[in-house]
Amino acid sequence: MKDKPDDFMQDFKPLYEAVLNGDANTAKATTETALAAGVDPLKLVQEYMMPAMAEVGRRFESNEYFVPELLLAARAMKGALVLIRPLLIASGAQPVARVVLGTVKGDLHDIGKNLVAAMLEGGGYEVIDLGVNVTPEQFIAAVKEKGANIVAMSALLTTTMPSMKTTVEAIKLAGIRDQVKILVGGAPVTQKYADEIGADGYSESAAGIVALAKQALN
Amino acid sequence: MSMFDTFGNATDTSGRKENTLRKLHRLNTALRHEEPDRVPVSDFFWGGFTRRWRQELGLPAETNPYYHYDLDLIVTVPNMDPWIRSFETLSETPEEVVVKTGYGTIMHKHFEFPMPEMRAWELDTFDKLEHAEFDDPRDRRRFYEAGDNQIAGVGDGFERNSPAWIDTVRSLRPDFPVYGSIGEVSECLTRLIGQQNAMLWMGEEPERMGAVINRIGAHYLECAKAEIDAGKGLIDGFVIWGDVAYKKGMFFSPRYWREYFKPWVAQITAYAHDHDLPVIYHGCGNCKSIFQDYIDMKVDGYNPLEVKAGMDCVELRRQYGHGISFCGNSDVQVWESGDRAAIRREVLRKLNAAKGGGYIFMSDHSVSSGVSGETYDYIVKLVREFGNYPIQLPPDMDEKL
Repeated sequence: MKDKPDDFMQDFKPLYEAVLNGDANTAKATTETALAAGVDPLKLVQEYMMPAMAEVGRRFESNEYFVPELLLAARAMKGALVLIRPLLIASGAQPVARVVLGTVKGDLHDIGKNLVAAMLEGGGYEVIDLGVNVTPEQFIAAVKEKGANIVAMSALLTTTMPSMKTTVEAIKLAGIRDQVKILVGGAPVTQKYADEIGADGYSESAAGIVALAKQALN
Repeated sequence: MSMFDTFGNATDTSGRKENTLRKLHRLNTALRHEEPDRVPVSDFFWGGFTRRWRQELGLPAETNPYYHYDLDLIVTVPNMDPWIRSFETLSETPEEVVVKTGYGTIMHKHFEFPMPEMRAWELDTFDKLEHAEFDDPRDRRRFYEAGDNQIAGVGDGFERNSPAWIDTVRSLRPDFPVYGSIGEVSECLTRLIGQQNAMLWMGEEPERMGAVINRIGAHYLECAKAEIDAGKGLIDGFVIWGDVAYKKGMFFSPRYWREYFKPWVAQITAYAHDHDLPVIYHGCGNCKSIFQDYIDMKVDGYNPLEVKAGMDCVELRRQYGHGISFCGNSDVQVWESGDRAAIRREVLRKLNAAKGGGYIFMSDHSVSSGVSGETYDYIVKLVREFGNYPIQLPPDMDEKL
């Protein structure tokens, strides 16, 4: 097994490039080759895939990339992760953190949430995606069941945004507020609103979620 | 009850009232960047808002905000579904319904939730999209027959068998300036294949997708022409619906938009102008990177200019002068707060953009069920009080442009 990052970068840089360029076939093929050669799957994630997704996020923030490029990169990364994840689980490797993610009750929009999920997975987080129209009770049950460290909520409409506040209050009532960091985002959400409802963080875009999650956990 | 279900009260559709002609003059004068008698006012109202507004103001069951406030503009929608057909009901309970529409979209509408969910699409592969053949853009049913259509039927409300577009126009035009409208390619793709697939396929095979966009663009250009022809002499302007941006910026690159989307907007605009119809483009989100393009296309007005996406019509007026009119940009989140002092500041500040004309007062998207009836009532009165020309704002609200 190789253990020098420089060698990895030289040998498996195509994985980094494939994720960055949204090339799912190359990402999968390179991962297969690497795993067959006995490369540590955790290092594939940490040395290639996470840096690639971080660069995707940077390019998205600076308007070099747009939603199509972000979706392609996420798909390439997911394709590689399908091969890697079982090995990580078998080896006992832990994710950076576990995130319970969903669009709040009454809101049925999901593209923003899906982009957030992709960025988090690319950042080494395990994402438990509850989908859309998620009730406070569902968020709480998932946190308890999965031992999540973060609850991330999305809303697109001004009229559904108050469900974020309801969920924060329900999490407090359930006695698990100290166990989780709560992050919020979505078109009508602002830092001011996040502060008002007692969330731990707000991200203006999907690309900022990894840095925000890291900051919140620290 | 939904955003596009206003059917006019008029029984005698032979002529237009003097007040209507005055409103039309007001609107057109504003769009020419001249100062009319007062700032025109209109909006798009969620069904949930209209219900609470009636209840809170103690108004009779059929009262309609357009009539009650004698608003200056109403926008109508024809049947834009690619395939003209009745909704196919897949499941139904008292709480919710799932239907397949004329876009081939599986739509889930929960009656308590403000917006529907698109669950699946008939065109779920690139190949299917590429080979899809839409119904004739000039099919008479789009304009002359009642029937289900997704835009009017499945939104903030759920309505079956929407009236024929031409009947709606005729019923409204004695009392209002009436605009026709058409969705451009981005609006179609969102419904036809879902926004995520649209973005993914654009990224995956940009040129192949570009060819599809051009084909759909040609279809909707022809739809727009057919609508304008059908509404000859009856409509006063035209709205193009198209969302290509979100809170932070464009969904896809401005270069791609300019190559594949812009030409169709330009051609619809040109055809409307050839028929003496002003054009308002509706596009949500932060469109700053392509805003000049709308001016270059000679689009007359831009709506809705969402505040949450960083759009500010006073700043835009400083930047672009009177190159384009602004229709909207009053922050509905401030309206929802019910805070009268904040609402007053929000409304009066935006009236700075009305100096010299070129402004239609509207919310920055639509009037949601989060806005109280009293608040909207207050806002219209405020605009009517301070929106008379020449605009004279209180010193603390008056800004130099």
